[in-house]
Amino acid sequence: MTAPTLDAGPATLPFATRARMLLRLLTVQASYNYESMIGNGIAFAIEPALRRLPGGRGGEAYRAALARQSRYFNAHPYLTSIAVGALARAEADGVPPEQIERFRTACCGPLGASGDRLVWVSWLPCCALVALAAFGLGASPAIAVLTFLGLYNAGHLALRFWGLIAGWRAGLGVAAVIGLPLFRTWPDRIALASVGVAGFALPLVMARATGAAPVGVAVIAALALAGGVALHELHGRLAGWRAAMWLLGAFMLAGVLLG
Amino acid sequence: MAIEQFRIDDRLVHGQVVIGWGQPLGLTHLVIVDDAMVENAWEADLYRMATPPGMTLDVESVASFAAHPQPLDRHLGAGMVLTTNVDTMRRLVEAVPGIRTVTIGGLHHQPGRAPSLPYVFLSTEDIANLGALAASGVAVIAQDLPGSTPVPLGDLVAAGGV
Repeated sequence: MTAPTLDAGPATLPFATRARMLLRLLTVQASYNYESMIGNGIAFAIEPALRRLPGGRGGEAYRAALARQSRYFNAHPYLTSIAVGALARAEADGVPPEQIERFRTACCGPLGASGDRLVWVSWLPCCALVALAAFGLGASPAIAVLTFLGLYNAGHLALRFWGLIAGWRAGLGVAAVIGLPLFRTWPDRIALASVGVAGFALPLVMARATGAAPVGVAVIAALALAGGVALHELHGRLAGWRAAMWLLGAFMLAGVLLG
Repeated sequence: MAIEQFRIDDRLVHGQVVIGWGQPLGLTHLVIVDDAMVENAWEADLYRMATPPGMTLDVESVASFAAHPQPLDRHLGAGMVLTTNVDTMRRLVEAVPGIRTVTIGGLHHQPGRAPSLPYVFLSTEDIANLGALAASGVAVIAQDLPGSTPVPLGDLVAAGGV
């Protein structure tokens, strides 16, 4: 079978339906359980689109699709938006149920692995390190926390919104979406940037949080540069988040020991 | 290429396979044996997206795999053969002599399946097919990750509520 190409076909998804699906995607983990994982969440998120199937809400096609979409599904929660968009498109296009079920299964691995690399290993630690840098540069603790929350949530909300549209446009051809640089090369770039931010931020944070006597801008800058270079050289041998956690732990220990 | 594991896993290529088993076994190649997937290029493309750099993926039918019992000689390193259900693995074992052990890595909930382990749900048909595998001399175990305790087929069936 040949996959539909991007933007193929006349099926439409009205704005109000998309908005409902996007809001419901925020609850995709609410019904998490070991039997169907986030399958119920997928069904809840896709349900507004299923109302547009022949027979409408409560019709035979609607009920069959809803039951199908409630089955086992497991992937990264943010990237489920891609799956929901693609599955909604497949249902709208009348793809045979057996193909849809195979597609659901096939989505789990790629969307799980891609999401782990992009979000948990790259974006999340990067946002934490930027917040630390803000603190190190003089921001209050509250501003540092808000910096983290604002940055992180902006990223994952944008990812969910974009994913829903991209998945809808791609349908069964969603491999092309997962193959985009966002998932193939950006995680490494974000991780690389993270180690640079870590090298910059941690000495500043250390100086501020420990209350150490001023050592001068030049010394701080030298420490930051050395840290950045060291972390850059460790890239590929030590994950950015792990390096940041080790350094943060060392910083806390030094803070305790130095009083 | 040495095939390190014949695995039944309805998620096929995912973290447990490429990282959990892939790193300790040094896997460099995966083979999905699935008659329907051979016809669905989009499906194979999706699974390739889950395959990390340094690891390759082929999709074969039972017949094409059986026609070349060692079709992977061009690959160095270690490999894993995956099927998405018990029936396909049973047909593979019947068609390819020499398979001694089959590992159930994950069979999740579907209508008609009852839980045996948190990651293994079996139907009566699955149990019959696994019994046929065992009767042919193949050791059947359930083990999702290398650090997990292997569970023999007898214990799986005893734990199942089908």
